[in-house]
Amino acid sequence: MLEIKELKAEIEGKKILNGINLVVKPGEVHAIMGPNGAGKSTLSSVLAGRADYEVTGGTVSFNGKDLLDMAPEDRAREGVFLAFQYPVEIPGVSTTNFLKTAINEKRKYLGLEPMEATDFLKFMREKMELMEMDKALTSRSLNEGFSGGEKKRNEVFQMAMLEPQLSIMDETDSGLDIDALRLVSTGVNKLKDGKRSFVVITHYQRLLDYIVPDFVHVLYKGRIVKSGDANLAKELEVKGYDWIKEEVEAGA
Amino acid sequence: MNLQEKINQDFSQYKTQANSSDAFVQLREQAFTEFEKLGFPSTKHEEWKYTNLKPIAEQSFQATCEINPAVHAFVKQSIFSTIQANRLVFVNGSFVQELSTMLETNTEIIIGSLATERHKHKTIFEAHFGKYAQVEGQALNALNTALLSDGAFVVVPDGKTVSHPIVILNITDSSAINVLAQPRNLVVIGKSASVTIIEAYEAMGTNAAFTNGVTEVYAAENAHVEHYKIQQQAGESYQNNFTQIFQEANTNINHVTLTLDGTMVRNNLHFYMNGENCNSLLYGLYITDSKDFVDNHTRVDHAKPNCFSDEKYKGILKDQSTAVFNGKIMVHLDAQKTNAYQRNQNILLSDDATVNTKPQLEIFADDVKCTHGATIGQLDEEPMFYLRSRGIPEDVARKLLLNAFADDIAEKINIPELVTLLEQQIEHKL
Repeated sequence: MLEIKELKAEIEGKKILNGINLVVKPGEVHAIMGPNGAGKSTLSSVLAGRADYEVTGGTVSFNGKDLLDMAPEDRAREGVFLAFQYPVEIPGVSTTNFLKTAINEKRKYLGLEPMEATDFLKFMREKMELMEMDKALTSRSLNEGFSGGEKKRNEVFQMAMLEPQLSIMDETDSGLDIDALRLVSTGVNKLKDGKRSFVVITHYQRLLDYIVPDFVHVLYKGRIVKSGDANLAKELEVKGYDWIKEEVEAGA
Repeated sequence: MNLQEKINQDFSQYKTQANSSDAFVQLREQAFTEFEKLGFPSTKHEEWKYTNLKPIAEQSFQATCEINPAVHAFVKQSIFSTIQANRLVFVNGSFVQELSTMLETNTEIIIGSLATERHKHKTIFEAHFGKYAQVEGQALNALNTALLSDGAFVVVPDGKTVSHPIVILNITDSSAINVLAQPRNLVVIGKSASVTIIEAYEAMGTNAAFTNGVTEVYAAENAHVEHYKIQQQAGESYQNNFTQIFQEANTNINHVTLTLDGTMVRNNLHFYMNGENCNSLLYGLYITDSKDFVDNHTRVDHAKPNCFSDEKYKGILKDQSTAVFNGKIMVHLDAQKTNAYQRNQNILLSDDATVNTKPQLEIFADDVKCTHGATIGQLDEEPMFYLRSRGIPEDVARKLLLNAFADDIAEKINIPELVTLLEQQIEHKL
């Protein structure tokens, strides 16, 4: 589904990603961990198409298409979703109107008729129940005045509505208390259907107690320096990142 | 002849017909003297620093102009004809009876042409006309007073409510020649009376049109007024507009100005709170493109204690357009417990657009709550990327965000047709 080869990227001349290689197959959950400044958020930004980053090398293909060549909206309509670390507040745009626009733009892109208003509302109601979303949130302006937890749940709700093939979750656990973390994780787990894939970017292991990864990769200095299964995350929780840093420095 | 020459000619013509023993005529003669003394304001005048009237003054004008039959079709297709309303239509400043509609059945309520109605209701006319819009030091008010053509005269007696909005539709028709229109409206709202007024400005024709309008609104105790000013004059249209709203105690005024088109628009909106517990709401939205110029000067006089005013003006600027905002809040010495808020926010969609903004507070009382502020910026990148990352293309995302920006003002409009008009203009312009 997703194939990243030797991906290099920089921002304002500063090299952040120095050759990332990663293959994600349908239905897999990959966790990307690493110390601060390793390039975790840069990776998610580059995949989603944020303009601030310059890709200086490598390729990313998504279902055989060149992802890096696409505008952010086209990546989304091809089935890539980025759950933001800091979801943006947009006063004056209601969540309902926003989602209807997003879904119908995707349908237009895929050559489908727009969804009827009643079908849309029914679909939204189903997903709200599934995600245990408070109805009041959808009539309010997008993320405006939402608590940290509400914003993150809204991201997962949008994920449920847009039904992406690949979801990239950028530090979704940051700023969440344990109850919010559980709600968000439960939401994500409900979306797993054996075909959808997830790339979960996190600094801490605790999110991975709830969203159990098939693979864990450690990112350091813009490279994946170690890969393993869920046990690697547990090891990192106990030992921290220093031993990995030392391994890398010794190897270099 | 240029504008000044036309004005001189028009006034000497007027004087030959006028009866100078009439108080109204005397008022106009005094106003003309004031205008002659002041002349057109130049950009050296602090209040006119950014607004240059030279392009209008240098145009050539002729004496009179016949009404073009195409105006009928124009009025019919106007969005202001879709509103269920009492409609007064003025073309180049003259009242056109056959294009106007009256729904109001209460004969105590006066809704009509100033030129006709002032004779029938002389006492109330003379008690209010020219009492609020200052002529001294205000050249264009003086000019309007001296040479006003016609306008709306509205009187709502105590305790009455006008059941439909009153649309005052001003059309400049410059199909044949350059035109000058000087509409003058007088609105007198009695105690506990209420009314909705929509002042609309449209234009047809390709020559230049200059509208110099003055509106006086008097609101007696407990009156409630919804006042909308909608400016969308296409073509080469210049407009100077002065509105003075005079509020007695316990009155509520909700005012919204939408400036959607016009080569040069200068608005002067003044509120004077002459009693306690007044609410004054002033909202504005301007959307400018090409080389258009919009200047909103507002002044809110808190003359008495315990009044509230809320002002918000927003602008979206494209191309090489320019906007000016100058908002002054005057809190007089005994206006304790004043609450006054003022904001001006602008979004520039082009590197060549310009905004000059000057929020001003002058406070002479010591127990007040006042805030003001202004912002000028571009559309934020973060919300844009957020929307795009959900599959919404850039142009659709931009419209969503600009609609959201305008929504703040749109929600202050209680007439659905006007909200639709605004949405259409945003769709069309952006």
